Amino acid sequence: MTHPNPTEALSKCVVYFNDGNSRTFYSFDKKHKKSKPNKALGIIRLEKMLLQHFKGTWETAIIYENKVNGKKLAKFKGGIRVF
Amino acid sequence: MESNNTTSVYFDFSQLFTATKTFIDTHNENHHQLTERLNANHRATAELITRLYAKQLNHAITLGEDIIEDLPGFKTFNPSLASCKGCTVRTIINHKERLKAAGFIIKEIHRGKSGIELWINPTIFKARKISTINIQIPPHLKSNNTVSDGKVKNLHPLVHEQQELKNNNSTVDKLVTKKEGVRLPAHKEIDNSVTGTSQEQHKNIRESRNSASKKQKKMATSTNAKEVDSAFLLQLVRDFWNYAKILLYPNIKLSQPEETEILNCIWASVYRKFKITGSTKDWEGYQEILFKRIDMVSRWLDRNPNRWVPPAHLYFNPENKRNGFNKTYEWFLKQELLKKEIRNQILIQKTASEWKDHKKGIGKHKNKTRLQLFRIQQQRLSQYKDERLLQLYEKSLHKVVNA
Repeated sequence: MTHPNPTEALSKCVVYFNDGNSRTFYSFDKKHKKSKPNKALGIIRLEKMLLQHFKGTWETAIIYENKVNGKKLAKFKGGIRVF
Repeated sequence: MESNNTTSVYFDFSQLFTATKTFIDTHNENHHQLTERLNANHRATAELITRLYAKQLNHAITLGEDIIEDLPGFKTFNPSLASCKGCTVRTIINHKERLKAAGFIIKEIHRGKSGIELWINPTIFKARKISTINIQIPPHLKSNNTVSDGKVKNLHPLVHEQQELKNNNSTVDKLVTKKEGVRLPAHKEIDNSVTGTSQEQHKNIRESRNSASKKQKKMATSTNAKEVDSAFLLQLVRDFWNYAKILLYPNIKLSQPEETEILNCIWASVYRKFKITGSTKDWEGYQEILFKRIDMVSRWLDRNPNRWVPPAHLYFNPENKRNGFNKTYEWFLKQELLKKEIRNQILIQKTASEWKDHKKGIGKHKNKTRLQLFRIQQQRLSQYKDERLLQLYEKSLHKVVNA
C-alpha cells in the first residue's frame, strides 16, 4: 500500500491533541498510484481524518501548504472549521 | 498615516518613447548595414511594445503590486500585437527577431496557449519615482492582483486606449491631407495602424495574392469569438456556484484548491464540460433552469431540518449517481409537469362553470349562442399551445353538454 510521502505531499496538517501532544500529518493526494495529484482531494481527506477518525481527541488543527512558508489553507477548532 | 504617503512608481509614456527613440537612433548610428538597422516599421513595433508594456506595468502598479525591483515581463500574444499594429503575425515575429538582435528585447519566453513574455532592455524601462501620488488601494483590489503572476487566463494584456501624453501619430494640429481613394473593408473600422503612415489607398486597392492579412483577420475574429464565448461559459459556472453556495451551503468555508475542485466538478457534471453547443440565449435559459433547481432544493431543505445535501464536492461530483445534483432534473421536470396539470385543471374548471352559467342564463356570456361561447373558449385555450389542454377541454365539454 502506498502511504503519504512527506516530500511529495501537497499539504500537511498540524494537529494539537487534547493530551498536549502535537503531530504533523501529510496529505495523500492521489486517487491511485499513477494519478495526477489533486490538492483538494488531499485537503478533503485530511479533514475527514480530523472530523471522523480523530473526532474529539484534538483541540486545534491547521492545514498548511507543504512547502517552506506555505500558506494556511484551513483551521479547525474543537471540531469546527474556523478558516 | 505614513503608509498612505509611500513613494510609488509610474511609467511615463513620453519619457519611455524618448528613451526608445534614443535607443533606436544610437543603434542605427552604430550599424550601417541595412540588415542590422531598424527601419521605421521596426521602430513602430518597438513603440507599440513600449506603450502596451508601460500600460500593463502601470496597471499592475495601480493594483498594488511591488514591481520596482523585479520587473515582470510583457505578456502578450503575437496575433494580438499583429492586429493592434495592423500587420501579419509573421511580420511581428520578424520584427521581434530584429529587435532582439539590436538588444531592444533582451529575452523572450513562449508560453504556448498563454502567449509570449518579453523582457525589454532595462535602459528604457527605468521607473520614475513619484512621491506626491497618494494611492489608496481598496482591499478588494489588493487581493485581486493577478497581473504579474499569470494566474488569470482571460486577462487580455492588449486593450486599445490612447494614453500617450504626447501623441506623435495624432493628426491634430498637423497639416495632413485627407485620405482619398477606395476605402478597403479592412480599413472601414477605426484606423488601427499605429505606424502613423497613412495608407495610400489609390496605389494599392487590391488585396495581396495570399491575402494573409484577410485570413489572419478572419482567424483573429474567430478566436476572439471563441474566447468571449468560453469566458461567458466559465462565468456561468462561477455564477452557479456562488448561487448554490449562498442557498445550500451558507456557512461553508473553503480554501482555494477546494473551491477550484468544486468548480471543476460543476463544469463536468452540471454543464457536461460544455460539449453541447448552444447559443448564448440557450445557455442563459439553461442557467435559469439551474437556478430554479437550486431554489427547489433550498425550499426542500427549509421544510424540514433533518434534510441534508452531501458536501459540495460530492453533491456536484459527476460520478455521484445516488444523491447528486443531477438527479434534481427529473424532480424539476416532474414539478413543472405538475404545475402545468394544475393550470389545465383550473382552466377546464373555469370553462365548465361558464357553461353552467350559460345554461342558467346568467354570467358574462348569457347573451351569446352556444357556438359563440365554444369559439371564445377554444380561442382562449389555444393561446396556451398545449395539445393536452385541448383534449381535456373536449372531454369536459362532452360531459357538460351531454349532462
